[in-house]
Amino acid sequence: MVDQAVPVDGRVPDQNLADALELRTAPEGLNKAALALPAAAAVLLEGCGGDSPGGGFLSPTPTPTPTAVPVTPQQASRFLAQASMGATRAGITSLAASGFNAWLNNQFSAPRPQKFWDFLVVNGYNVPANVNGQAGFDAMVWSQLISSSDTLRQRTGLALLDMLVVGIDGFASPWRSFVMAAYLDVLWDNAFGNFRDLIDGIASNAGMGLYLTFLNNPRANATTGSVPDENFARELMQLFTIGLYQLNPDGTPVLSGGRPVEVYSQADVSGLARVWTGWVFANSDNTTPDRVRLPLVANPNQHESGAKTFLGTTIPAGTDAAGSKRLALDTIFAHSNVPPFVCKQLIQHMVTSNPSPAYVGRVSAVFANNGSGVRGDMKAVIRAILTDSEARDDANVTSTSFGKLREPIVRLTQWARAFGVTSPTNLWPFGNTNSSANRLAQSPGRAPSVFNFFRPGYTPPGSPLATAGQVAPEFQIVNEPSVVAYINYMQTLIANGAGEAKADYSALATLVSNSQSLLDELNLVLAANQISAATIASMKSALDTIAVATPAGQNNRIYAAIVLVMACPEFLVQK
Amino acid sequence: MASELSRRAFVQRATALSLAGTATPFVLNLAAIGEAAAATATDYKAIVCVFMYGGNDYANTLIPTDAASYSAYFAQRSAFAYSQAALAATTLAPTVPLADGRQYALAPELAPLLPIFNAGKMAVMLNIGTLVQPTTKAQYTARSVPLPPKLLSHNDQQSYWQSSSPEGASSGWGGRIGDLFQSGNGNPTLTCMNPAGNAVFLSGQNAVQYSTTVNGPIALTARTSLQGSAAAANLLRSLISTPVNHMLETELAKVGTRALNLYDLVSSARAVAPTTSTVFPAAADPPSTLGAQLKEVAKLISVARELGAKRQVFFVSTGSFDTHDNLATTHPRLLTNVADALRAFYDTTVELGVANQVTTFTGSDFGRALTANNSGSDHGWGSMHFVLGGAVKGRSFYGTPPVVANGGPDDIGQGRLIPTTSVDQYAATLASWFGVSDSNLSFVLPNIGNYSVRNLGFVQDPPLPAAVATAAT
Repeated sequence: MVDQAVPVDGRVPDQNLADALELRTAPEGLNKAALALPAAAAVLLEGCGGDSPGGGFLSPTPTPTPTAVPVTPQQASRFLAQASMGATRAGITSLAASGFNAWLNNQFSAPRPQKFWDFLVVNGYNVPANVNGQAGFDAMVWSQLISSSDTLRQRTGLALLDMLVVGIDGFASPWRSFVMAAYLDVLWDNAFGNFRDLIDGIASNAGMGLYLTFLNNPRANATTGSVPDENFARELMQLFTIGLYQLNPDGTPVLSGGRPVEVYSQADVSGLARVWTGWVFANSDNTTPDRVRLPLVANPNQHESGAKTFLGTTIPAGTDAAGSKRLALDTIFAHSNVPPFVCKQLIQHMVTSNPSPAYVGRVSAVFANNGSGVRGDMKAVIRAILTDSEARDDANVTSTSFGKLREPIVRLTQWARAFGVTSPTNLWPFGNTNSSANRLAQSPGRAPSVFNFFRPGYTPPGSPLATAGQVAPEFQIVNEPSVVAYINYMQTLIANGAGEAKADYSALATLVSNSQSLLDELNLVLAANQISAATIASMKSALDTIAVATPAGQNNRIYAAIVLVMACPEFLVQK
Repeated sequence: MASELSRRAFVQRATALSLAGTATPFVLNLAAIGEAAAATATDYKAIVCVFMYGGNDYANTLIPTDAASYSAYFAQRSAFAYSQAALAATTLAPTVPLADGRQYALAPELAPLLPIFNAGKMAVMLNIGTLVQPTTKAQYTARSVPLPPKLLSHNDQQSYWQSSSPEGASSGWGGRIGDLFQSGNGNPTLTCMNPAGNAVFLSGQNAVQYSTTVNGPIALTARTSLQGSAAAANLLRSLISTPVNHMLETELAKVGTRALNLYDLVSSARAVAPTTSTVFPAAADPPSTLGAQLKEVAKLISVARELGAKRQVFFVSTGSFDTHDNLATTHPRLLTNVADALRAFYDTTVELGVANQVTTFTGSDFGRALTANNSGSDHGWGSMHFVLGGAVKGRSFYGTPPVVANGGPDDIGQGRLIPTTSVDQYAATLASWFGVSDSNLSFVLPNIGNYSVRNLGFVQDPPLPAAVATAAT
């Protein structure tokens, strides 16, 4: 195809940072509504309870200075369930001492310990034998999800991957592990950056180009009648940024005559598709993986040179590929749907499946303006999500509807992090966990399509949830086989680990002789004490039937205790 | 079952609901009709939905071969159009030729289905898709009639196809058919079965989807002993299946309960399934378990008596049909997989002696554009589908052949077809064969009242006494 001997136009679209910054710091026009609001980020700091609509904050009395309110171990564990890949006893202790904002600041400022790409290189996967395989991929992802210290970035990255979906089985390309590594690095690198950079990153990425088929997408051909591929243009709008219907800032649909209002038409898709023409690999060398991490470049001969009209904007005829991309992403980024569309999904992935419109509205306001006139500041958005009154309100723990089903990947990493799973030679042999017959029905980076394993709008059909108009995205992968397979798989992992990746239960040794103490510890670390006393009591009775006179007996009690906790619906639903 | 007390309760509830407003007739109908429908099911019937996720490319599935249409087809996708010569062997010869000399061929990869068509056991549906009501191009252009929401969007059109609602639907038409019949089955939970995952299609208002795998249900490892403890195993089973207060926990417990409670019944029934000799070819590239899923469906049908089932709705699926690029390479492989799986499934139903009682039909998100986008095709709307089974009035086309064009009278541009037959009509025909009475169709298909033709006639039991029919096969 046209990726051979590509004439590069010299304006490599790595990032138009200056332009993007100019956009963000030019609130006139763009951000007026947001600026009229109180500096939303500031009022969301802990200890400033009462300012936020919804109330129910940690302290009933507003404190004049932002001194940290004491955080209990239970509150710390609950926060970590929302913000991390899994709590540890040490992490709970540390967070309880430092408070939420110090923890967030620490996580935000920590550099990435290792890029995905570098894991593959350091571990020797960049050899010709791997050109057509997926060697190293699963190990690479599990390594970071389980062991990397930047746990908030991991959790945010995973949430972004659930929304900006690419899956390794969707690449018709050599070096698939590296394609995926480069894509994940875009998400993880920009997780604490700006959303405008993030969408530029994915729109310039080879993996996305392969997955949504705009790589080598030529302009319309009058001779053959061929028209530009619409795949990326459609999903960029529908799935990644604005969705299908006009949204209020709180995420509720705008109604006209009682009906939702469509954001774009087929003509907008066709118009935007013209932007994603002429994009090719940066070079033609596929003997090494290196080109798949370089931003795509333009082949001017295949870029649509005519006008491109979509979403009420027209990119003038003659605009080159890089300029068209910049204008297209600026237009999308400025769309009023972006804040609620993105923020609601991030809330769903971290905190609760059905956030109140007020919660979505508060976070969206921060997305629209971080308090300093910047739109799309991911740090501010994440802080707003995790410190919001609705996320932190302890009363929600006993609600019958608040929270979310923990996604299976995170359940596994919770176990692995809580019990210090290591992989001495970096094999991380958890492999592909997609099977619903004997694994998790979910595997990181292995979504079956751009619609992910589950959709934000999914509701279990025929359920009281559906009747109540509530959603439960993660239930899209819940079925009779998968609920049993998960428990079977976890039982195996808990007892045996996966190959060389094994847990260390030595910290439980002093507790094992007292089932209640053992369960109290597990309940705190894994479930933020969300398993009821009655359930714990039934678990204690069962565990007491396992004698602990021998090391084998002690192990059996520990394994059984962790299985019971992790199989328990009161754990599986994170409140 | 239908005691006088419960009937009176139904009537009372129905009356109350009918007073509550317009949103309730759905529920009203279910309460009023469930028992009567179930009472008629004395034999066995199954419908099997074969869903092609991603939006199947209709134009390279059923290719127009009359000279004018072929020429128009070729002009829109010369890069990956089948040659006329390649289509000669699979050109369809229906019992009654289409008007105006229109002709179609199956894609060559669908050749395994040709003998079924020629035997009169397969019908071809022309330009079928999601609609709210009959819709002309003028009405579409003027937006003067209601249209299915979110046209051309994968997830929403998958959902609309299966349920008459976009993503977030609370029930599908397969499940609503199940609602009407599940009380006549020995185990109502085994009315709507899916051997690979979840689909809204199979969930009704009361009927639930029961999922298995291609190898049957999954056993809980620790069902009798968890790390050596029977007490812990007992507790584990209890935790999995005990409803608690939280809505999400309660929903989990429902699934867990079904998984644990039905394992023994389903696995022991499967264990006595008759051996069949039909081979289901493996699908390696792209990998697909469609054949394995249909093999499992055949196995479940073969033990319907053990499962206590008289009416069952099955859903199987396969993906990768979103052929935006590399259509010439990918699509033929996908069709090969589908053809092999459908052929083996049909042959197995013949082998099991249940071909007349099992009707299989295809579905997909939408059709695609006729006009090429370089190496593939983009999202469309109307499409071509197939119905197979002993009760099918086959060797026929149903529906209207669309004009093959870019911007013609039957498309919204680039050959994205405006359906001339609705999924509702397709579903109503299947439902009627299954035993749903005409008066109950609006429960299953809320928009069916918008169509004057509710039965397309492509499947109906032969009008023969049962003994004669049996002797004849």
